[in-house]
Amino acid sequence: MAEQRKRRPRVCEYYQNEDQFAKGVALCSGCTLELNLRFVSRVLGKDIIFVGTPSCSAPVLHGQNTMAWHRHPYYACTMTGVASSATGLTRYYQKAGIEATVVCHTGDGCAMDVGFQTLSGAAERNEKIIYITYDNEGYMNTGIQQSSGTPFGAATSTTPLGRESRGKTTASKNMPMVMAMHDVPYVATATLSHLEDYAKKLVKAKAASKEGFAYIHVFCPCVPGWRIPTDASIQVCREAVRTNYFPLWEMERGVWRITQKVKEPKPVSELTRLVGKLRHLNDEELARLQAQVDHRFRVLQALCVASEGVPQSES
Amino acid sequence: MAAVLDRQRKVITGNGAAAYAAMLCRPDVIAAYPITPQSEVVEQLAKFHADGLLDCEYVTVEGENSAQNVVCAATMAGGRAFTATSSYGLVYMYDAMFNTAGYRAPVVMVNVNREPPGIHAVCSGQQDMISVRDTGWVQLVVENCQEILDTVIMAFRLAEDFDIQLPVIVNYDGYYLSFLAESVDIPAIAEVDRYLEVLKRQPPRPQLLPGQPIGCGSHGIGMGYVELRKKHMAAMERVKTKLEEIEGEFAEIFGRSYGGQIEEYRTEDADIVLVTSGSAVGTARAVVDAKREEGVKVGLVKLRLFRPFPKERLSAALRGRKAVGVLDRSICFGWDCGPLYMEVRALTPEMGILPLLSFIDGLANMDITKEHIAGMIDEIKAAAEGRPYQEVTWLP
Repeated sequence: MAEQRKRRPRVCEYYQNEDQFAKGVALCSGCTLELNLRFVSRVLGKDIIFVGTPSCSAPVLHGQNTMAWHRHPYYACTMTGVASSATGLTRYYQKAGIEATVVCHTGDGCAMDVGFQTLSGAAERNEKIIYITYDNEGYMNTGIQQSSGTPFGAATSTTPLGRESRGKTTASKNMPMVMAMHDVPYVATATLSHLEDYAKKLVKAKAASKEGFAYIHVFCPCVPGWRIPTDASIQVCREAVRTNYFPLWEMERGVWRITQKVKEPKPVSELTRLVGKLRHLNDEELARLQAQVDHRFRVLQALCVASEGVPQSES
Repeated sequence: MAAVLDRQRKVITGNGAAAYAAMLCRPDVIAAYPITPQSEVVEQLAKFHADGLLDCEYVTVEGENSAQNVVCAATMAGGRAFTATSSYGLVYMYDAMFNTAGYRAPVVMVNVNREPPGIHAVCSGQQDMISVRDTGWVQLVVENCQEILDTVIMAFRLAEDFDIQLPVIVNYDGYYLSFLAESVDIPAIAEVDRYLEVLKRQPPRPQLLPGQPIGCGSHGIGMGYVELRKKHMAAMERVKTKLEEIEGEFAEIFGRSYGGQIEEYRTEDADIVLVTSGSAVGTARAVVDAKREEGVKVGLVKLRLFRPFPKERLSAALRGRKAVGVLDRSICFGWDCGPLYMEVRALTPEMGILPLLSFIDGLANMDITKEHIAGMIDEIKAAAEGRPYQEVTWLP
């Protein structure tokens, strides 16, 4: 057992280069988005081109006037134009014979709401890009409003608690599954408590992006938006996996696989008790959230079983 | 196959002319979404691509907003890019058009004029191009199929010129020109190569490339923003002379030219002048000839460059006239007149106070007939003679 553990590559062995980001950046203490950016950059390598939008990541990725906080080429665009801008870049590089890895990096609001059409279009065209969604379940940069990534019951500034309101009334969009249904070469979920798992998926995504579209959906808790302590964000990630609230899986050429099996999943209340925006859920509401988590997981399991050993032919 | 790329004279539609021109300029990336009355442009380009005549990345996007973002990014990466749209499509890419202009991305776009949303009209009208006038794009308006082809080629020279680096729209009237078949002189691709070759000899544009840490679209904070706006404005002003310069070179190779920013027709001794743009110019030319036969000293000014507005040449052309009329194929909310009329009126300090008449005609495929234009000239003449006149007239 000990030997087996030794053979498994440690996360730092996936690093291609030094951290390309400046040491002090304008993000909150405990921000998982910052970790995510630095991690993606170190695993995917220096030569990637980031495409991003106005968002929490913008102050760091965009730069101001001639100042920058990282050493990557970067393309900023509107929230409606991420996957399409990445398409323009990658298509020109293909035409000109330039080797490049174009990486879109957006929040859930852009990917799942206002930029969804262009993301879906690029996936359908099987554009050679990597699209990474850092899902903090809402519009955190503009002041914690609900997005279609916000879960049932969550209190946000546009689904506040009140005499007549108990938070968001509908479930979140099951975005990674939606993307997997686009029949692209690679789709995965990842989070920052499981970095080896995440690193492997980034490496696979980079390889897949030479053939077509790769999508990674990253669970990224937001300290002020979720009302969690600054030192709890990684713990929240871990509990999301352990409760099956955010199962870690991948879909490679039509074959689904759960990459982190949870032997005895904890009840979802183990997660919600840590998270301020969900702490008000009563038993009935928790049961509803639990039922949704269970149902999504059963569907995922069924897909894993149904697709096992039957990869889709090359598209 | 090769025969298609030799010089030839063919009867083609306005849309066909736009597609031929784009193909001859060898774009690296084309992204466009179909919309009436532009669809033929994208279909024709897809066919050129399918037949191996057009070596480019042809992106079948899922909407116009994406089309604009694709071509903007492709030019920022270093490529040449083309798109085409109309009406609903133009306003659907509105946010992205600000990006393209702000990034100084030299995209060339064809806009086939059609009434925009509101009152659903699958009809010609210039309201679409008017609605994007403050996005920072250069805008040209053309009159016939040959001019469509020639102007799209010139638009690449203009957009990618080192002193300009701005996106350019070539506008032409939907239906009246998009589906009008005319005899068009299609240049050989080698001639177009020769015309565009000068672009390769200029200092290189910045390119977004892997391994080179360039940020595109960083936050413009305070003076950083102001500086870029000021430079954008200065580049826009340079378009006026640059257009005439590159049109001169175009004339040397292809033997055709259109007067640059504006074309004056029989204005030398004219007492009164009608200003208009687009397909209505051809009709107006015939009416001006007829009125001249009757002894009316009338001239015509065709507005080719809409953004930047050719205020110097236009005010010089209108100064000292006894009355001027402006024919618009669109309206200007809040000013109760036509938009081109409003802009001509803003030239008053330069051209002096004179009777000005606004004519709104041709909305939603209502024909701008010879009779209409003859009536307009009669009204302008009456105003010139000191008779009372109505400032704004809707036709028919």
